[in-house]
Amino acid sequence: MAVSDTTTAPMNHRRPSNARSILALTGPAYLWLVVTVLLPLAAMFYFSFLSDVPLAARDWHATLANYAAFFQQDFYRTLMWRSLRLGFEVALWCFVIGFPCAYVLAKTIKGRWREALFLMVIIPFWSNALIRVFSWTMVLRGNGILERFLDWLIPGFGSLDLMFTYAAVVIGLVHSYLPYMILTCYISLSTIDDDLIDAARSMGASRLTVLRRIILPLSMPGIVAGAVLIFVPVIGSFMEPRILGGREGTFLGTVIEDQFTAVFNWPLGAALSFILLACVMIIFAIFQPILRRAS
Amino acid sequence: MKGHDCIRFLTLAVSMASMTGLAHADTIRVLNWQGYGTDEDWSLEKFEAATGNTVEHEYFNSEQEMLTKLRTNPGTYDVVLINSAYTQQAAEEGLIQPLDLTDFPHSEGLQARLAHNPNLQYDGKLYGIAWLWGVTSFAINTGAFDEKPDSLMELWNPAHAGRLGWRDDAVESCQFAALATGQDINDPSDYDVIRERLHALKPQIRTFWNSENEWNQYMSSGEFDLATYWSGSAARSKQNFGLPIEFVVPREGAIAWLDGLSIPTDAPHPEAAKQFIDWMIDPEFYVQWDTEVGAPISANEKAVEQLPEGAFNKQLIAQLKEVKSLPFMGPMSDETREKMLEVWQETKTFYQE
Amino acid sequence: MKARPINVLARVYLGLVLAFLYVPILVMAAMSFNASQFYMLPIDWSFDWYVKLASNARLLEATRNSIVVALVTTAIASVLGTAASIAFFRYDFRFKKVLQAALFPPIAIPWLITGTAMLMFFFWSGIGRGLHAMILGHVALALPYVIIVVSARIKGFDPDLESAARSLGASPWQVVRHVTLPYLAPGFIAGALFAFAVSFDQFVISYFLSVPGVSTLPVEIYTAIKKGFTPEINAISTLVIAFSITLLVIVSRFYRFGGDR
Repeated sequence: MAVSDTTTAPMNHRRPSNARSILALTGPAYLWLVVTVLLPLAAMFYFSFLSDVPLAARDWHATLANYAAFFQQDFYRTLMWRSLRLGFEVALWCFVIGFPCAYVLAKTIKGRWREALFLMVIIPFWSNALIRVFSWTMVLRGNGILERFLDWLIPGFGSLDLMFTYAAVVIGLVHSYLPYMILTCYISLSTIDDDLIDAARSMGASRLTVLRRIILPLSMPGIVAGAVLIFVPVIGSFMEPRILGGREGTFLGTVIEDQFTAVFNWPLGAALSFILLACVMIIFAIFQPILRRAS
Repeated sequence: MKGHDCIRFLTLAVSMASMTGLAHADTIRVLNWQGYGTDEDWSLEKFEAATGNTVEHEYFNSEQEMLTKLRTNPGTYDVVLINSAYTQQAAEEGLIQPLDLTDFPHSEGLQARLAHNPNLQYDGKLYGIAWLWGVTSFAINTGAFDEKPDSLMELWNPAHAGRLGWRDDAVESCQFAALATGQDINDPSDYDVIRERLHALKPQIRTFWNSENEWNQYMSSGEFDLATYWSGSAARSKQNFGLPIEFVVPREGAIAWLDGLSIPTDAPHPEAAKQFIDWMIDPEFYVQWDTEVGAPISANEKAVEQLPEGAFNKQLIAQLKEVKSLPFMGPMSDETREKMLEVWQETKTFYQE
Repeated sequence: MKARPINVLARVYLGLVLAFLYVPILVMAAMSFNASQFYMLPIDWSFDWYVKLASNARLLEATRNSIVVALVTTAIASVLGTAASIAFFRYDFRFKKVLQAALFPPIAIPWLITGTAMLMFFFWSGIGRGLHAMILGHVALALPYVIIVVSARIKGFDPDLESAARSLGASPWQVVRHVTLPYLAPGFIAGALFAFAVSFDQFVISYFLSVPGVSTLPVEIYTAIKKGFTPEINAISTLVIAFSITLLVIVSRFYRFGGDR
């Protein structure tokens, strides 16, 4: 990025004046982030080592029991594993559905249509996630729209029983995050030069070879970025499983939410959150090089 | 920093605006289950006409959530509905204040064994006004049964695999299992048996329900053949919503409970709260509520006497005299509660596999 | 290079994806016009739920709160974010990379974690919960978006324009007023609209920071879904989603999603 010399201050005062300007311009924003993100996370870390919520009326002392609980109780690990699996599956489905879509948008449609269609795909992502998940209950419920439609299409189709299943949670989440994958893949794909593909084709490479040897490797940064950015929020999701999952809707996220809104075991909730956060960090660390290339 | 001042001013302005919104006098805030008597519009209109007080509601989906709402929102609620099994815990934590029956003129009609129930007392003082009692059991969709079952074991009957609605609640779940295995519901001795009973429900459960409204929606869209339920809610679903259901009192017994109304420690409008509680235990309110909407059994004898012959609750009282055991939900030790929570959490995880 | 059948297939596929994205929303919207409380089919068309909505004080109050929070968030986040973007553009300094990386956590950490952390910290430190706390949280989430969007615009700015204006005798204020601001305006507007959209649709943070009687629309909708809902919820949801989509179409006039094309 260009370093410009446009400050009106005289040369000899430039450095301190710059420092002051930088502080004045960035200070408020970062102070805000410190108060609303950094300090809360620090407080959460502190809470996770306490035996009870540190309020005047309560007895509390430092303990490792909250973390120990995670390792002693099998079901916490099962739930962690389930949450990770959910994140992985949702990211995978988003890729399977989203990548071809991004490809079509980037490579086969041109002009104003492309812009309009692209917008149509992206916009749901920014609209209200809660409402979109809720809207699936209208579609999936027993004897709902989907079953009626399938029954009309194939008479005697019977019942799908999709509502309140793991599959319903996956569908709702894929719907929520698919535009993300399309967006990141689209950005990567549009940087690939069409001539490169044409050249490979003219030299006799099959479509599949082109896809495997040129398109997929070159769009990898977008795919990975999309996958990571989907994976992370999904493993912390609680609202989607609560609305769509029914009996199969217990995940680490819902258990954490319970600790805060129902059970009032904030320390345990904090410890579980930190374990979840550790997973997020590990994922980011692993994919950091590719993510940096993608940005 | 100027920008920062500006932000402080803005947040201050907004928080002040929201506080003036809260400070309207004479609006009492009630914490209760949704659709559980206190929020009947026709009654609230009369209450407002009689006392000038308006009523707002907040709802909870479990006793745990209710307690946490009290803990994290001191000075917010004026009246809270507490199952008497939790009254002592709330009193011990300093969440609710002691009450004097003489402040409630209609309390003279309350059954003595309910009004002075030990579960409503803590440290020699009364913390809850007995309001309603009833039982937790299950209700059936009459379309799915030829004959009304009379055993709790119907919940485990493979004929209804995938057709059972179950409330996602640790204590209630464990108590059902305790009742089915003949244990003390407030202090079970054998959690392995309880766990085994709950695990056995895995093929049965269609989904969890969390609120009465959800229960009605699932039942009406035919998701359930049978579902755990509360007697008062069953009366409402049948009478008010016209659902084809029957409440079952199993021969093994049912889980009985007594609900009381309490006033939180820092209630902003304690006087209005007392008026409201007295309004709620008034037979006049109860009889109209039970006959037009549906309710559990009133703790007020005079109110129950005034019910018409053949009323749901009169029949229920007769049926309950026949059952083998009718244990009341009572206070539990922290260990018991935590153990139940753990067993249920573990069971729910088992359901996922 | 493109054979027609492939092209047709591509379009059909795109159509299916769009159907997947929009059909649930349309179904929900259709149900909001269904008189049956239990969503029975076929639809019995009526406006009842919208009429009921107009007298639902609770939802209207929540809507008002959502708008207030979103407006204040937008004002704060766009000012702070634009200031920071200008600093990133103008100056090179030692911690720039670190500061830019520090924008990532609010976006990257699951909201469940940031939300519960804010709940604990605000509750425990005496900041408290309520609308002011939601504003604190929403600004933190909106800031990164504003900085990204404004930076994208600012990148194309030619500093020579400013010096040229100055050499023609413009005062520093005139330079800012007539050169810098007009150039930045589209980025600033896009950033502000983004901030509004982020805040208006935010659920998780608001959920943990709401107090009885003070909540936003998404929180009320969620509470209603969990504790007993009526098709009024469909009605308000339909309005909210229509509003969001309109807002985003407007954003797209100012900011190209997905960079340059």
